[in-house]
Parts: sequence; structure tokens; C-alpha cells
Amino acid sequence: MYGGAQAEELEYEAEEAVDEEIRQDDSWAVISAFFEEKSLVRQQLDSFNEFISSSMQEIVDENADIIVRPRSQHDPGEDEVEDKEYHVHFTQIYLAKPTLTEGDSGETSPLFPKEARLRNLTYSAPLYVDVAKIVRTTNPDGEVNEDENISEKVYLGEVPIMLRSTYCSLADHSERELQELGECPYDQGGYFVINGSEKVLIAQERMANNHVYVFRKSQPSKFSVTAECRSVVEGSTRSTSSMAIKMLSRAGVKGGDGQCIRATLPYIRSDLPILVVFRALGFVADRDILEHIVYDFGDTEMLEALRPSIEEAYPIQSQEVALDFIGKRGSAIGVVRDKRIQYAREILQRELLPHVGVGEFCETKKAYFFGYMIHRLLLVALGRRDQDDRDHYANKRLDLGGPLLAQLFRQLFRKLIKDLRYYVQKAVDRGRDFNLTAAIGKETITRGLKYSLATGNWGMQGTAGLRAGVSQVLNRLTYASTLSHLRRINSPIGREGKLAKPRQLHNSQWGMICPAETPEGQACGLVKNLALMAYVSVGCASGPVLEFLEEWTMENLEEVSASVIPQATKIFVNGVWTGIHRRPQELVTTLRKMRREVNINTEVSVVHDVRLQELRLYTDCGRCSRPLFIVEDQALRITKEHIRQMSAEVDGEEPLMTWSRLIQNGFVEYVDTEEEETAMIAMHIADLASARADPAHAYSYTYTHCEIHPCMILGVCASIVPFPDHNQSPRNTYQSAMGKQAMGMYVTNYQLRMDTQGFVLYYPQKPLVTTRSMEFLHFRELPAGHNAIVAIACYSGYNQEDSMMMNQSSIDRGFFRSIFFRSYRAEEKKVGSMVQEVIEKPDRSVTTGMRHGTYDKLDDDGLTPPGTRVSGEDVLIGKTSPLPEEAPGMAQRWSKKDVSTSLRNSESGMVDSVMLSTNEAGARFVKVRVRSIRIPQVGDKFASRHGQKGTVGITYTQEDMPWTAQGIVPDLIINPHAIPSRMTIGHLVEALMSKVAACRGQEGDATPFTDVTVDNISEALKDLGYHSRGWETMYNGHTGRPLQAQIFLNPTYYQRLKHMVDDKIHSRGRGPVTLLTRQPVEGRARDGGLRFGEMERDCIISHGSASFLKERLFDVSDAYRVHVCKDCGMMAVANLRTQTFHCRACKSYDSVVQVYMPYAAKLLFQELMAMAIAPRMQF
Amino acid sequence: MAPANKPSTRRTPQVRLRNYDSDDYCEFELLGTDVSVANALRRIILSHVPTIAIELVEIERNSTVLNDEFIAHRLGLIPIVSTDVGILTSPYEANDDKQCDELEYELNVRCTGDETMDVTSEDLRPHNSWPNALPVGHSQRPQGSAAQGNAADERPIVIVKMRRGQELKLKAMARKGTGKDHAKWSPVATARFQYRPDIQLDQDALSRLSFQEKESFLNSIPRGKMIFRLNPHTSEIEVNDAEAYLFDRQIFERMEEFSLPPDAITIRPLPDYFIFKVEGTGVLPCATIVSMAIDILREKLAVLHTEVQNQENFAPMLSDAAA
Repeated sequence: MYGGAQAEELEYEAEEAVDEEIRQDDSWAVISAFFEEKSLVRQQLDSFNEFISSSMQEIVDENADIIVRPRSQHDPGEDEVEDKEYHVHFTQIYLAKPTLTEGDSGETSPLFPKEARLRNLTYSAPLYVDVAKIVRTTNPDGEVNEDENISEKVYLGEVPIMLRSTYCSLADHSERELQELGECPYDQGGYFVINGSEKVLIAQERMANNHVYVFRKSQPSKFSVTAECRSVVEGSTRSTSSMAIKMLSRAGVKGGDGQCIRATLPYIRSDLPILVVFRALGFVADRDILEHIVYDFGDTEMLEALRPSIEEAYPIQSQEVALDFIGKRGSAIGVVRDKRIQYAREILQRELLPHVGVGEFCETKKAYFFGYMIHRLLLVALGRRDQDDRDHYANKRLDLGGPLLAQLFRQLFRKLIKDLRYYVQKAVDRGRDFNLTAAIGKETITRGLKYSLATGNWGMQGTAGLRAGVSQVLNRLTYASTLSHLRRINSPIGREGKLAKPRQLHNSQWGMICPAETPEGQACGLVKNLALMAYVSVGCASGPVLEFLEEWTMENLEEVSASVIPQATKIFVNGVWTGIHRRPQELVTTLRKMRREVNINTEVSVVHDVRLQELRLYTDCGRCSRPLFIVEDQALRITKEHIRQMSAEVDGEEPLMTWSRLIQNGFVEYVDTEEEETAMIAMHIADLASARADPAHAYSYTYTHCEIHPCMILGVCASIVPFPDHNQSPRNTYQSAMGKQAMGMYVTNYQLRMDTQGFVLYYPQKPLVTTRSMEFLHFRELPAGHNAIVAIACYSGYNQEDSMMMNQSSIDRGFFRSIFFRSYRAEEKKVGSMVQEVIEKPDRSVTTGMRHGTYDKLDDDGLTPPGTRVSGEDVLIGKTSPLPEEAPGMAQRWSKKDVSTSLRNSESGMVDSVMLSTNEAGARFVKVRVRSIRIPQVGDKFASRHGQKGTVGITYTQEDMPWTAQGIVPDLIINPHAIPSRMTIGHLVEALMSKVAACRGQEGDATPFTDVTVDNISEALKDLGYHSRGWETMYNGHTGRPLQAQIFLNPTYYQRLKHMVDDKIHSRGRGPVTLLTRQPVEGRARDGGLRFGEMERDCIISHGSASFLKERLFDVSDAYRVHVCKDCGMMAVANLRTQTFHCRACKSYDSVVQVYMPYAAKLLFQELMAMAIAPRMQF
Repeated sequence: MAPANKPSTRRTPQVRLRNYDSDDYCEFELLGTDVSVANALRRIILSHVPTIAIELVEIERNSTVLNDEFIAHRLGLIPIVSTDVGILTSPYEANDDKQCDELEYELNVRCTGDETMDVTSEDLRPHNSWPNALPVGHSQRPQGSAAQGNAADERPIVIVKMRRGQELKLKAMARKGTGKDHAKWSPVATARFQYRPDIQLDQDALSRLSFQEKESFLNSIPRGKMIFRLNPHTSEIEVNDAEAYLFDRQIFERMEEFSLPPDAITIRPLPDYFIFKVEGTGVLPCATIVSMAIDILREKLAVLHTEVQNQENFAPMLSDAAA
């Protein structure tokens, strides 16, 4: 075979090297390439870009035309002699870069996000549109005169711009330039700035439209099986039109008829026999109809199941009768038969399954689809198929920022058109011409978008169906929490719903949704987070796919005889049955090949359902997909050579192989949840090799794909957990929630920002033990924690019940020290036309309502200068508002009212910075940032990365801490009891690996699903001269004696959580009471009382301590004295100064007694009296 | 050195110096006493030996990225050579006659270049009559000071980094204090002692293992090759450096695995033999720290002694002990 020459041999080797299969480690190069191109908030940006670049124009085009004819006022209905017609036509829209128009000077300048954030502006760009106005005059002699007038670039309103999208002013800036612009280079955008606050649009989960869902009904129901379809036309405004087909249950059958099948159509009040619908669609013969349902006449069982339905529709044997039958059940009552038939026709054309078609001559297609639904229903009814899974993720779609904004913009634009039409009509009716620029409402779109983004109420103000919480304030506690917030998904299902299934993790969520990151409690499982590599489709047109199918000999449904259907495969595009194909396998192979060559969009999913004989293609938006390695002949298509090309970076130029090239060359492809069901995916690359080596014992011999790396199933917060595969799963969930409360560095530009709250760690450290995914989360660059030396020990008892001991000397040296920022703002508001607030130092002699705190710290300009120490209720910003002048001549004591801003009563700190600017309206606008240093103290909360949280129970100085023979003193001592029941083995493995990492001076790799073992780490630790399991003999710091037990003493990464005692500590003796009931107010911020609630009351009752109870509930709360007339039992009037008592009711002056009662009781009595009920007290 | 099998009631504590050449490290042995004394000494070294550290900072101008508190904290942690600490008065010692001593420093830096600039302890200018009290590693090291540490490992301490146009001007006041108040006054990084292990080998029992087995046995113990050595001639395991053993007890697990009897190797700590290791911060020479610590311990005992003597109740006990 070989020529024996050495050259041959070499060539062979070279070839071998090229074809060498990649190893699991190499997949990190691929993952890096992915994140190089797609940032973690790609879904947000992609979807917004899609909205701006196409959806917006489409929406304008959809509603582009207004045609108005003048109606004469005195004689409505009759046209004037000269037939005039006004057309208003919207064409091209333009979006500028974000700009700002100053309120006072009217100057317009480019706007950058930093300024928007600081000055509480909205980061938005003006939208313009070309509008054509055509006046068409028809003379009485039929001559048409057209006068066209195009107004170019008419201002439509402001569209908020997503940061870092293509339309953002930050797009295409280098890191350096971003820094110069006051932006954090690590900030990835994906949110909006509305009135200075950062808003995220949370992806909203919904059921996919145009799918046929078949469900069994549980039994007391009238129906046994139902098939539903929520039909929406691709890219349209129309609301969903649902229809259902239902099979009566045996119990629901009355009298002689069997289990009939009925259909519910939109706008039709009662259910219709299915055959009636067919007949109304023009299919009259039973055979014709059955062909559309059963396809295969050999299937007697199914035919038999249809018998009752056929019998039921026996009386209706023509299209006319069927239409009339439907029309009678429509909303139009008491009209003539012709109208009824017309009405029924329209319903069938417009409202029945609109996604199949709303034009004329769609009956064939509709009948096929209708029949298909019945077919699917019968399959379930006959037990040949399971009912559909409501929670399967293939049946879900995610509405991201783009579609959400499109929905809103559509509503607003329609309103604008409506208003415009009204205006134009009015003008035209009066015979006046109108000015387009003036006629277009400038505020509709600006206000509407801003309102929804600012409040989160999605939809126009005042309309029904408002969804709350769609837009949320971006969480800026720590960098990871920001990232995670931008990748959140919400399912708008009632939180109270006791149904557990939608909350449970579904198999089909693998790789799309993080299995660990979800909140606990009410929203558990309803709020989800995207997995790291999940990609949400932005949607593409189905046109190219349809064209391709046409080319590839798809037989159109209209041209095909029903008898061939059983032999062919049905083709659905976005849920619409478009045709059939005889050789589906070939078609699928070609389609996939085309997609891998990017001849059709990579987003398109190709699902070949062999069992149902269906080929389903999807191009719609909101599908979850993820990239996978493509496997051919049990081997990856990608080879080592391509990996090498990826890293080979020549002179800072782009490497040879990038993510998009990987896609183009067909090494990886996006597979969505539905297509995934038809794929055979290998978990590890090694599985393929072993399958090749030993096919007999291989799990599969038909692998089609391979996971890029199994750890990519995790989301942002879960990727921070080291060794999550060693933990009990709820612990990872707990950590995912806690990671969001950890302090660190939330952005690098925090000094330039004026966040209402901000926590920054003094000396954040990157963890000794990391996961590979952290690279993409920038956790090393913006970490949130310290590598603490942790002993797991019982030492003096101050670490029981999840508390921990902390080394005071470490704290002195800066351990977990942090800064807390809080910003206060004030602006000179204008109330009415005259009253203008002024920022100044209030003058005590003319100002009323001055605060308790000191005004001494204010400068003459009314602001506290930076570097001032402030505490308690000190006034930070002095502001007054003028009081209206009283009647002339009267000496007025006060001319101003104090409306200053003072520091929160429980806080203290230093004024860090003061910002002075103007707001949108041009009024003076001030922000003051106060900083305070938070040193760890008893009661502060800390947590490891394994859901192990605790508070500091005591701090010990170095000499009191236990020490090792090497002089190592722990920073933290946690209790051993925290471990066994919680089973956070990952915590221990992390600790062990941290020790190795610290000794070696290298990072430890704790990525899940790799082959690192505890034994490996132990061996390494032993070689470093330590006990292989991380134990050390320690000596008691107080006595110097060795501790009995050996202590697990290792470094562990700990986080400081934002909950600190100083923000919680609260007590009150006396204090403010509420106005109405005179009971103590609630809450620490208002110096409120501590509630003595029902349960506490129950305790005291059971103790029998009545007088204590009275003290708590009465004396210490709202004790009050009233005077009551003994005779009538009503409250009397008492003048304590003159000691006269008088009962108004019985006009008596004696027999008035004093009664102590809660003020709330007195109030109740008076309220009852106001309702003409006389509560009488008896003595 | 006789291992004290029976703890004697009478003690003759001894100190044997081992390694005290370096300013930053010293090692000595404490013999003939029990843990309480050793531990007292350790605790005093850590938290009672006075040093000098910056305590008050008056910031005049600060346009750096770090805020005032941050810089003040960092300044506080700068070790300051405290050889003069003996003649200083701390705020606690101050009374009407003696005022608390305050050592002033000034720092006034402005970055004018385009490069990032480091503000270091070098930029701290002492302001008064304590020429010795300089930050550790300061180039203006007073002549004749004990250590001539090499310049390479004594780089000045970075306080803050600056970019063009930033400025820092401040006045800092250092005071005498102890580690009990704040870790910045602690004269050492760590001070610890360990018991000397006494290792007894039963060669008969060990001879069950072949040479290879012995080799792998030693390899399987952390620091096995430091504690023991394998004599190639006699192929016996010998104790090499008993102190390398950190009482981690893994050796006993391994003995079981190699099916050695439990008495093949016995290790026990000597109860009155302590090896002290003190790692200084450069503030004071370690030997000085230790001797100061001993002085302080003595002083404390003296105070206790007089107090106890004043208390009549204790008198009989005292005379008993003296006997």
C-alpha cells in the first residue's frame, strides 16, 4: 500500500493531524469564539436591532394610508358636487442618533448615555417619516386632478434606544473611547435609559401560535379531547383568533348520538358539528370531507369514530344551508337569510384560522387544516398518540424587547393615525386645508413608549390588558446580577396558581434555560434565566423557505388530490400546512445542507416528524435554540486544525476561524427545542470516539450532534458556582439567588455614576478556584468576594446556627471592607405658572416647616459640599417653595415653605460628590452622593458560593484565633454542622482545590462535568506538604493547647452580601404615630414601632398575663380618653378647662363619665355614627 | 535535653536562640516551661508590643480615584520603623505631665506626566524630630539602623495610583499603639510556636516493608521525605527533621494502609519544648520584638504580683508557691 518512501509516511502523519478529532478542552476555543461574537446580551440587542431596522417600517407600512372625503355638515351622507379625496400616505421612516434638546435654550446636541443617566433624561432618538399628501379632485365631468405634496422627514416622536445596539451612540467605539465617554467597557448594554433610570425589558414567555394542541380533558368535563389552535397571521396586528375542536365525552352524550365532534369558531356562539363547517367551506360530499380528515380509508377505526359526527350533520346537506346554520349562531340576530350567509362567509374567510389565509379562495387550505386538526384530535382520542405537552419548550416562544416594542409601537402608531384621521376629517369637513406637520401628534409615540418603559405597564395607558412588570429597573448590585437580569424570562402565569407543572424543570429546557437559577417562593419556576449559549431567534421571513420548497417539488395543497396524502409527508411552514412531499428524507437532507451553508437562514428549524409524517419548518421569532457540534459518521465535522485556526491570531487581526465561519462551514449549527427532539446528541466528544471504537456497545450509532460543553446548560449566576456538580441541587439555586446580592464592583465607572444605591468592595479578589465560564462573565475583572482562609470548626460557640466567627485583625487590614453610596436628588420644580422652587439655604426667619436636622452643613448655594461629614437627619439639599401671599395688608410671617432633602435618619457618611445640572425642562437639577464605609461587624451577612450563608457572630483578634504550626490564622470560622445536612460537597472540594491553587500560584479549575477528582486534588495537596484532605492541627489561641480535632482549614471564596446590621438595626421607645388611628407608624425608615401581632397576642393570652397584654395593645399604642354620657351611652362634649361636661344627645350636663379606650375604637364609633348607626356604651 | 516525662513543678525556663540574624525573621526555642507561658509570650508579641502607625490623616486635597477613608486606611497599614517606640507616649499613657506623641508626615503629590504614577510610602515626608520613624523600606533610611535589607525586596509601598492631573495632599499623624487596638500596630505578620515532635521508630516493625515499600510509604505522607530519610545503606527509615512534622496525623492513616503496627512509628509532642517562629513586618527587628515581649510579660507579672500581694487573702498562697 505504501511506497515505502519516507515522504509517504510523513504525508500520512500530516493527514492524521488534520483529521485529528478535537478534545473536550478544545471546545473552549469554540465557546470563546461564540462569546467573542455574541455578547451575553445578544438576544436583547439582536431583537432591538430587528425592531428598528425592519419591524418599525413594517408597522408604518401596514397602517400607512388615510383616505378622507369631506362630509358636508348640514347634509351628512351626501357628497359635495366636486368630489375631493384626501390621501395621507406614510412612506419611509428615518431614525437619527440619540439627541437631546435642551428645555431652556432649545439647542439640540448628541446625547450619550452617561449624560442621560446623570441628568435623568431619556436616551432616545428622534423618528422622522416621509408623508405624502395627495388631494384627488374629481370634476363633475369625471376629470381627475391629483395634487401631490410630499413632506419629507416629519417628526414623529422619540424612540428610546437600547444601549450598545446599532443605533446607540456607543456603537462602534473602542474600549478606550468608551472610557473617555464615561462608560464602563465591561457594560454590555441591552437596556434603556428612561428618565435617568436603566430599564430592562424582561423576555415574556408565551405559548406558540399556529400550533395545533391536542389535550385530553379530565373527566367531569363535557368533552373528552380537544384540539386547539391559536391562529395569528405572520407579522400582523390582529389579535389571536382561537378555535377549538372538541370531542364529546361519553358522559356528555345525550340520547342516541354518539361521541360527536364539534368545532368552536370565533364569533359563533355555539359549537358547530364539524361537518357543517366543511359543508360551509364548500365540501359537501361525505367522502370529500372524510378524505380531508382520515386520509387513509383503510383506517376503519377512525372512520367509525367519525360516524356520530356524520350522522349529526345529516340534516345539513348543502353549503347554503350550512352557512345559514352558522350565520344563525353568529352575533348578527334578526337579519335576513342572505345577510346571514354573507356574514358566515366572512367569518369563515377572515376569522377562521387566519394564519392559513384571509383572502378569497383559501377554502381548500382551510378545509385541509381543519381536517388535520380533527385528524390530530382523533389520533389522541383513539389512543394512538399522547396528548400534547403544554410545558414542552418547543411550544413556547419568548417575546423579547423587539417584539414587545413592536407591539407597543403598533398600538401607538395606530392611535396616531386615528388622531390624524380625526384631525384631517375635521379640517376637511370645514373645507379647510390642513398642515401635515402640525397635524401629526408628536407626543403620542414619545409619551406612550416612555410611559410603558418607565412603569413596566405594557400597552397604552388606560387600555385593558395591561401587563405589569415588563420593564424593570436594571439591577446594579453586582456585575453578575446585572448580566443575569438582562437574560431573565418571565412567564405571565398567575403566581397564586397551585399548578406545579409549569414551574417544573422540563427536559426540553436542557441547554436553553438554567436549571439552577430561579427564585424561591411564589415565582419559583416562573421566572427563569437563559443558559449561557442559548440563542433566541429574531425571526425571518418565510418567503425564501417557501420558494425553496416550491423549487424542490413540494406539491401544493391546492393542486393535490387527497388520496395521495397517506403516502406523502405533510409540510408545515410556521404552522401552516402548505403542501406535501413524496421523498421527505431527501428534502430534509437538502434543507439542512442549505442551512449549514447559510443558503437559508441559520435560524430556520427543520423538524422531520417521521411518526406523524410531517415536516415542520419554523422561521418565527422567539424560539429558543442553541449551537451544537455537527456530527457526521460518528465524528465531529470540526477538527483540530480548525481549532488551531481559531487561536492563530496574526498581528492582532481577526483569527482565521471565527464563530460565523464555524457556522458557514457547517461545523456548528443552531438547533431549536423542536428540532432537538429529532436529533441524537452526544454528551461528550469522547462518547463519539468510544462509539466509533466499539460500535457494539455504543449508546447510539446515529449521532447527529454533540454538545459543545455540558456546562453550557447553566446560566450566568450558576456559572459562578465552582463544582456545582458536587452539590445538592437546591444549594446551587440558593447561591444563584445570593450571588446577586454579593458586593463587588458592579461597573468600573461607578465614580461617574449617581446610582441611588451602590455597594463597592475595597479590595475585590478574583477567586482562586474558577470555572471556565467565568471568563465570559468577566468575573475575574469585576469580582465580588474575597479568598478567605476558612476553618470549619467549633471554637468557642459563637458560630452556631449559621453564624460565623471573623478575624478582627483581618478586618482591620481591610478584609471585606466596602463602600456604600447613596444618592439624593432634587430639582427646582415648577408648580403652576408662578410658583417656582428655589435651591438655597433656607432662612429660618421666613421659612416654615423646617426640618429637625441641621442646616449648618449647607453652603450658601443650598448644597452640602463634598467632604462634609453628615449624619442623622442632616439637610443635604436646601430647597424652598414660595408660599402664596395672603390678603394684602396682613403681616405675613412666612413667605416660604421648606422642601429640603435630608439624609436618611439611620445613615451617616461623607458627601462624596455633588452634581449640579439642569433637567429636561431646563430647571436646576441636583444630585448629591453620600458615601459611607462599611466595615464588617457582628451581624453582617456573608456567604460562600454554595448557598452557605451566615452572619458574623463574633470577631476575634489574631491572637485569640486558632493557629497552625505555620502561623496561619483563619479569617473565618464556620460551623461543621453547616455541612452534612446540606450536602454542599462542592464547598469542600472548592476549599481543597483553593489550597492547591494558593500554594501553586495558579487558578484552580472547577468547571462542572470535567474529569477533576477529589483524589487528584488530594494527591497534589499531599505533594505540597499538606494533609491530603486539607486537615491541619490547630492550636487554641487562648490557651496555646492543640485542638482535639484536626481542622479543615483552607481558602474559600466568600461573598459579602448587602444585608448589613447597620441598615437593619432598629428600636423605638416613643415616636411618630399615624394620623388616622394614632397608632405607631410602621417601618424603620419612619422610626416606626415594632408590631405586636396576632401570634404574639396569642402567646400572651395563653400565658394569662392580661395586664401585659393591655399595656402592649393599649397603653403603648393608641391610648385615649373619651367622655361618655352614662344615660345614652354616646360620647359627650367635655370642656376640661371649665370642667363642664355636656351630652348633646340627651341635653344633660351630668352623668358624664370618663372612659379609656383605644383611639382606633373611638374612631370606629364615630365612623359608625357617620353611617347613622348609634354605638352606645353601657355602664 | 531531657524530655520531661513527669511535668516537674519547678521550672527553669530557658530560651535558646536559633536564628536571629534577619530583622524580619527569628526562631528560638523555649524550654522548660509549659504552654501557658509560651502562649502568653505569643499573644504579647502579637498584640502588646507597641509600634508606630499612622492614626490621624488630615486630607487637604484628594482628586485620586480612592476616597479619603480609603487612603487613610492604607496609610494606617504602612509599617513605620518603630525603633524609637520606647521613648514615645501613647494616648493611653498620656497624662498631665506627659503628652501623647504625634509624629507628623506630609504627602503632597501631583501627577503631571502621561504615565500612571504610583504614590508610595516614599512620598511620605516626615515632619518632625523623629528621624528614625520612616516607612519601612524608605530610601532615607537613617544611618546605622540595624538592617541593610537589599533594595530589591524592599520596594516602597504603593498608596494610590494617579493619572495626569490628579493630586493628593495630606498631613498624617502617627502614634504609638498596640495590636490590641488595631492590627496596624501589630509588630509581626505572625508569631507562632509549635511543640517539638518526638519521633520514635520501631525498626523491627518497619523492616516488614521492602525498600520500595518504604520509599512509597514515605512518598505517601505529606513532607515524608523531609521528616524522614531512607538510608540507602541500611535501607532503614531514619528521622531526618522531626520539626517538619506538623502533627497532621496522616502518617498514621498511611501506616494502617501499609499494614504497619500502630507502634511502628510513635510521635508525641514534647510538652515543654516550644519552637517559636516570629515573622516581623520590618517595623522592629524580630529579636527586639521578642525581648520587648518578654519585658512586657515580666512587667505584667510584676503588676499582678504587687496587686496580689496587696490582697491579703492571697498571701498564704503566695508564700506557699515561693517555698
